[in-house]
Amino acid sequence: MRIVIFLLLGLVIGLFYVWTFYDIKVVYDTFEHTFFRLSIILVAFFTFIVIFRYISFIFFSIMKMTQKTVSFTAANLAFRPRVTIIVPAYNEDVTIATSIKSLVNQTYTNLEIIIMDDGSKDKTYEIAKKFEGKFKGKDIKVLTKKNGGKSRALNFALERSSGDFIMCVDADSKLEPDAVALMVRYFQDPEIAAVAGSVFVSNRTNILTKLQALEYIEGLNMVRNGQAFLKLVNIIPGPIGMFRKSDILEIGGYSHDTFAEDADLTLKLIQKDRKIDFEPEAVAYTEAPDELLDLLKQRYRWTRGILQAIRKHSASLWNWKNFNFSFVLWYMLFEAIFWPFMDLFATMLLIYISTSQGVNTLLIYWWLLFSIVDVAGALYCILITNETKSLAFYAIFYRLYFIAIVNIAKIFSTIEEWFQIEMSWGKLDRKGGI
Amino acid sequence: MNFIAFLSFSVLVIIILTLVFGITAYFLYKMRERQRRKGVDVATYEELKEEEGREYLFLDKVNLK
Repeated sequence: MRIVIFLLLGLVIGLFYVWTFYDIKVVYDTFEHTFFRLSIILVAFFTFIVIFRYISFIFFSIMKMTQKTVSFTAANLAFRPRVTIIVPAYNEDVTIATSIKSLVNQTYTNLEIIIMDDGSKDKTYEIAKKFEGKFKGKDIKVLTKKNGGKSRALNFALERSSGDFIMCVDADSKLEPDAVALMVRYFQDPEIAAVAGSVFVSNRTNILTKLQALEYIEGLNMVRNGQAFLKLVNIIPGPIGMFRKSDILEIGGYSHDTFAEDADLTLKLIQKDRKIDFEPEAVAYTEAPDELLDLLKQRYRWTRGILQAIRKHSASLWNWKNFNFSFVLWYMLFEAIFWPFMDLFATMLLIYISTSQGVNTLLIYWWLLFSIVDVAGALYCILITNETKSLAFYAIFYRLYFIAIVNIAKIFSTIEEWFQIEMSWGKLDRKGGI
Repeated sequence: MNFIAFLSFSVLVIIILTLVFGITAYFLYKMRERQRRKGVDVATYEELKEEEGREYLFLDKVNLK
């Protein structure tokens, strides 16, 4: 049934694609200047790549769902190794108690929880300390150290952990009770080094957080599900990720030289030819920025962090001996740089064509093509994740406003990273919406 | 003006407004961060020591509660 829906979807998008390309061809013929002709070819190629990416991810995601049903029917429930959950926390007194409660309510019992206070200036440490000891059969430790950043805090706790598997959970996140139990099963396969979980937005209070909710299920979860079919998930999200401890130790733990330590760690694992999977039913809820400037702050840090991680491994971009690693690096580069820049370039070109030659129908077809893909992707994700159906409605605004604004932030972040302009971590103020 | 042309025009206007809005929002964000940084006067122990020109700094104990 899923394959039939996928084929129908592919047919609709394909027809629309041909229609749009016919319009592109008409516009191409009206221009004689080489620059404009080349620009139109570039935009057509970019459109093809983006549509191909969407279709591929939906296809791989369907394949992954089928694969998962097969591989877990005979799951070995006796596999219950020691797991340590590390919660790095800096000034998280608003959310830390909720986060800890969600961890002690885990159905998985062979569990150690380390709350790692990174020199908070608020009451994070005092609040966490109240939970220390044995709680619902889980061992809870609360550690503190001088402030030194998330990666150092994670390494500090890692050295003091007793589990064979390490789960990293952000202090502003809340886990579903079965999250640990679902994720740990993957490590029966010795080739698996890490497993990512699903992240959902908990504070859907305004249009901005609802658009992020859609982005999380479509942009992040669908993409991760697709990547997991190839066992090449490129970023283990901060709110929920589990690792084999021996693998983290082998690559020297978390690095301190990027602002995206999660992306950097995942890249180092892929570089070692280790496999990274995704469990869509292991769910974490996180608080998304509910103000535009806070969202830009978050995306600024994400983009620069990812670019720093790519820059660290840039030698492998041209060294195709490790094909998977080079492929993942190019993919990340496409998402972080090429896509936002090409999106802006295409928009500017369409604006120019419309203003110089009168409003052209290509603009609406081009926009509709992407919007159909967005709505289809959103509907697919909503159906597989049992999310609120009304979220699909926001897919219309998703491309028109959200992606455009986020891409502008990505472009400026890329320029600043290029010129190595100094940056700070840019911690968001929490409002306790988990 | 036919319907498709009207839609194209609407999308064009929305795209231009969104671009202007996005760029303005980004510079507002940068301005806010600059103001926040100015508001927090941070100095290391070594910097203060150099400023005072002494080998040791003596701190007063303050009740922060």
